[in-house]
Amino acid sequence: MPVLVLLAVLATAVALGVRRGRAHGDVPARIVAAAADSLSANRRDWGRAMTAELAQLRGRGHRWRFALSALRAALLLPSGRRRPVLVAASSGLLATAAVTAGAAAEVPGLAVAAAALGLLLCGYATVRASRPGRARWTAPGVAVAALALAGTAAAVVSVARIVVAHPAAASDETHLFSVLFALALASCLAVALTPSGDRRALWWALGAALGGAAVWTASALVMPVSATGVAGLGWPVGLAVVLTASIGGTAASGRSRDGARAGLLAAVLSAPAHVAADLTGILQAGHFTLTNAYDVAAYPHSGYPDVASYLLSDTMAGEIITGLVAFPLVLAAIAVLAAGWGVSGRRPWPIGN
Amino acid sequence: MPRTRRPSAQTTAVLRALAENPDRWRYGYDLCAQLGIQAGSMYPILIRLADRGLLETSWEAEPAPGKPPRHLYRLTGDGRALAATVTVTASGAVQGTAPRPGLAGA
Repeated sequence: MPVLVLLAVLATAVALGVRRGRAHGDVPARIVAAAADSLSANRRDWGRAMTAELAQLRGRGHRWRFALSALRAALLLPSGRRRPVLVAASSGLLATAAVTAGAAAEVPGLAVAAAALGLLLCGYATVRASRPGRARWTAPGVAVAALALAGTAAAVVSVARIVVAHPAAASDETHLFSVLFALALASCLAVALTPSGDRRALWWALGAALGGAAVWTASALVMPVSATGVAGLGWPVGLAVVLTASIGGTAASGRSRDGARAGLLAAVLSAPAHVAADLTGILQAGHFTLTNAYDVAAYPHSGYPDVASYLLSDTMAGEIITGLVAFPLVLAAIAVLAAGWGVSGRRPWPIGN
Repeated sequence: MPRTRRPSAQTTAVLRALAENPDRWRYGYDLCAQLGIQAGSMYPILIRLADRGLLETSWEAEPAPGKPPRHLYRLTGDGRALAATVTVTASGAVQGTAPRPGLAGA
């Protein structure tokens, strides 16, 4: 059922986004416009060049191929900033090596995740270094970045505490969940650390995310923690956070784009905080008993040395998939929808249309 | 004088295409279609050539009605010299060997 809801929300958001986007050209035109917009100031002419070339192309296939290729070009364009790029890449790689070595020595179960997260963030920093002067940092932007870093650190620490207490819970021969954990956290950080959007909308995102984190933290401290997290408050609070940020951001800025950005930010800020609160609460509660028939039957053959490791391994995998992947994706889709509705509610419907 | 570095096969193909008629302004998709190179590879090549002073750029003076002006390209003097050099080098390199099918279309 949750999967169906997730798919329905994502499909609705995509359909509405495509419908709204037609007013600004077809999808290839929007892709090339976004690619051109992502270029640094000294490369803007090349973005205009690709946009102009697309305008001459006929045929859906030709336009799509050109648009996707132009997007690749925008990502791979030589930046003309060789030194900052080299500094970012080399220092990022050194930091990744140091963190990975530290993790391998202290928490071996997190070494792969540390390496993957380090490499992904190194890649992000290198791309940022290659694109100078795109946006200035503002006070709310810095606060959003700080909250994102704090949430990520909290999520990593909460996982590390489990891995230290129950090393077998982190056994993952394929390293799939380690990489997914790193990818999800790096994605959340990349969204939050890329400054853009209206300042008032950013404040709405920050306030809503802080409110949600406060509710989850308080709940973890005072309410009973179930095997699935903090008293089932994850989704309701997350929904309230994103709706508040999205609608508030749209109202404050007057633009649905800023409202959607605020909602998206609130979602990616909330996801690590929610996971950290859940995992911390579950570890603190320490109620590790097999409660359903499947687990009772499966545990003896699972290879885990104790029930706690078996249950925590399952819980961490669930938190990564649900809390760090599905949670922000669904909430981001809801943010886009809510921002659109916010604008629709503010504007009169056109007459005769 | 920019650093001289051995150009890649695709860059060589672009240089040679532009050198076929060096006075003629070319546009990006035209080169992509001629050489079978995707835009994702073509534009980084054109940018590197322009950064090194090998490519001159301009905007279409009279664009098609309702269309934005296209970006146009042709080789500078240094670009023509490099194109002549790589053409000679390529001719020397392939003497007695089979032609490289990936040169223009890779």
